Amino acid sequence: MKSDRLGGSTGLSGPVFLASALFAGMVVQLAAAAQGLAQDAEAGKVVYDLWCAECHGVNGAGDGPAAASMLPRPRDFTQARYQIRRTGSGQLPTDDDIRAAIRDGLPGTTMPGWPNLSARETEDVIAYLKSFSRFFGMGDPPQPMELGTDPGGGPAAIESGAAAYLALECEACHGPSGRGDGASAPTLEDWRGFPIRAADLSEVWLFNGGSSVDDIHTRVLTGLDGTPMPAASDAMNAGVVTPEEVWALAHYVASLGPSQAPPLNEVVRVGRAEAGLPGDGDADSWGQAEAFYFPLGGQVIEPPRNFAPTVDGVWVQGLHDGNDVALRIQWNDPSRSPDPSWDEWQLKVSETLDMDGAFDLDASLAAVDAEITEDEPRGDAEGEVPRYPDRFYVQFPFEIPTSSQRPYFLMGDARNPVYLWTWDSEQGVGAARGRGLASAEELPEDAVAGQATWSEGRWTLYVRRALVPDPEADGITFAEGATIPVAFQAWDGSSGETERRSSISTWYYILLEPPASNRVVVAPMIAMLLTGAFGLVLVRRAQSGD
Amino acid sequence: MNLRRQPIVQAAVVLVAAYVLFEYVIGYGLPLVGVSSAPVPQTVILQYMAIVIVGVLVYFSADEARWKSFMQPVRDTLTLPDRRVPRGLLMVAIPVMAGWMTYQNVRLSFGAPATLRSIHPAPPGEITFRGEPITLTGLENPLRSSGSMEEHIALGRSIYTVNCVPCHGDRMDGEGHFAPAFNPVPADFTSGGVLPQLTESFVFWRIVKGGPGLPTEGTPWDSAMPAWENILEQHEIWATIIYLYEQTGFSPRTWHEAEGEAH
Repeated sequence: MKSDRLGGSTGLSGPVFLASALFAGMVVQLAAAAQGLAQDAEAGKVVYDLWCAECHGVNGAGDGPAAASMLPRPRDFTQARYQIRRTGSGQLPTDDDIRAAIRDGLPGTTMPGWPNLSARETEDVIAYLKSFSRFFGMGDPPQPMELGTDPGGGPAAIESGAAAYLALECEACHGPSGRGDGASAPTLEDWRGFPIRAADLSEVWLFNGGSSVDDIHTRVLTGLDGTPMPAASDAMNAGVVTPEEVWALAHYVASLGPSQAPPLNEVVRVGRAEAGLPGDGDADSWGQAEAFYFPLGGQVIEPPRNFAPTVDGVWVQGLHDGNDVALRIQWNDPSRSPDPSWDEWQLKVSETLDMDGAFDLDASLAAVDAEITEDEPRGDAEGEVPRYPDRFYVQFPFEIPTSSQRPYFLMGDARNPVYLWTWDSEQGVGAARGRGLASAEELPEDAVAGQATWSEGRWTLYVRRALVPDPEADGITFAEGATIPVAFQAWDGSSGETERRSSISTWYYILLEPPASNRVVVAPMIAMLLTGAFGLVLVRRAQSGD
Repeated sequence: MNLRRQPIVQAAVVLVAAYVLFEYVIGYGLPLVGVSSAPVPQTVILQYMAIVIVGVLVYFSADEARWKSFMQPVRDTLTLPDRRVPRGLLMVAIPVMAGWMTYQNVRLSFGAPATLRSIHPAPPGEITFRGEPITLTGLENPLRSSGSMEEHIALGRSIYTVNCVPCHGDRMDGEGHFAPAFNPVPADFTSGGVLPQLTESFVFWRIVKGGPGLPTEGTPWDSAMPAWENILEQHEIWATIIYLYEQTGFSPRTWHEAEGEAH
């Protein structure tokens, strides 16, 4: 009987309902166009409460129930400080600025784009956002800055931009290679006192205000209000840099990394190094190995969860020589943990970010907590911030699966363990057996070896092992030509990441290129000969039949 | 000679039309006119095309005369002296094609192995919630008949935004900020193929048991969906389910409908 009530919720069938909804939407849009899309703050409140309030708060103060699990925190509209503007520093944004932020979102944050809102809804929400602050409506409407036109890129512009990068002291926060590892990076906070990262300039696809040279130029010129990022227009007016040099700086920043998010290939191609394997992560011979990028996400599956991980992706290269396989793994991490200069940062992160989400989890987590044994903090005098090392795990099954069945991607489980290559910035490279998150049990007999170096905000990890493990050691045998599952996990100790609080990927593959075989030449030749002979016979018979 | 009366041309037209229908009309054409649909998998297209080819051959070979006129262009190409050039070209092109196909098969491929995954595997009749048994068959959302709907929706919205947004996204389209890290990708709740196809008890099962609770055909080792019984209470999960349907505008599948289909 109850099911009848549920089933009878709408009298319209799907297509009819959709069509009428579409039509109604068109009517509204047309009406809006006729009025020049006048904004209606009251209608905007409906949309805002449905989609925005949970993060930005019902009163627009950036304090919704979900805000505590987000870093950077959602915007507080009551003070009208907007990062992404084309107006001068300290000025209000234009409607165009707010509209673009809603449509495109702020990449690299938890704010998605909302292209699915209608033009009508978007305009109404803009009106409602502005109503949170009394600053809008005071004085003349804000005007965008004179941005100028791009004089063009090229090697000369990039060189001039590199000089401007130094002249404007960008490296103080963003670091010498732009990976957000400048000396001041650990001290940065936004105007509300929440910790904020200096952007990693090698990842343009995560830039809050867009990835094009135009976008970068506008952000540099107008600054990011409410953050420590100043407006270069001030330095320009003071004669420190010319307008051309600010454009050059935008080209230089764009040159620091790929121009878009690297495409995802599921299989790491581990080529044959005929001239022998590189001996470490810095060897020039890594240039011959293709690099594969894998995005990582926060471990938000088992508590304590990590809603704002530091490491957001990893580059993987592999080579083998028929006896040994070597991987070079690189990821960006602004801190070389443990590092006392990041203590204050870690403290602020732990105070800002609710690692477990905004709910009182005590009751429901009792059972789970019992299993969790937190790492003994290293360097842990009373009242001090615990210092954790950086870590990285490469995960394989113990045996190459013959079906699609694999161990659970999250470090296996009790029945199906995983084989791990572990690295820890204090203890180096080792091997372990994983039976679930935070359960690595060392495999001391394993002959895996390697080392890692940290330079300018990037770890380079080199790991090497024989294809066939020692007879007394437990570990995978790397068969050439087989697709072997692999997964990755990373920790940034200086942001309080330890145990379950990590960055993770699901399963991907590595494939070791087998020795060149003449089968790829011979088999097609045979196929061609057979088909050709068959065709000749067919023609001969058809002709003689006439 | 009228090309349209040529049986072999007719057969080709039928095959091309069938391919366009399977490959483009079903997956991309129907959604344009508002009918929910999805692209047909390549393996299924292959099966459909095989059936169409067999059908075409059966049609043309059912009648002696029709078969003869169907085969006439083939025979002509093989035998007529003035078709020497096209015949020679075919004699080269077909073996080259065979060689190329063989090469594609034996060369080393760097593609990921294909995995078959059941998107909505059959739910069990009974599950446990932190050890307490719950019968799924016929189970209704208890919050729909108790308490205030507004409060349920508000609770569900808060739970969704904190816990589900990182993967399933604010727009509920499976494009959360962590989604690119996970494979298979998180479910898209705005798709007509997910929520309206499922009973609330099915959604409850998927939330409570997550990836680890999937049967083998659901490839549980790959899914990043947590088992939320470790984190959320039952009423919080039911409230989140109400929010999912309210916010997307879909209605859950009822047990009435589910049984109607089974019979």
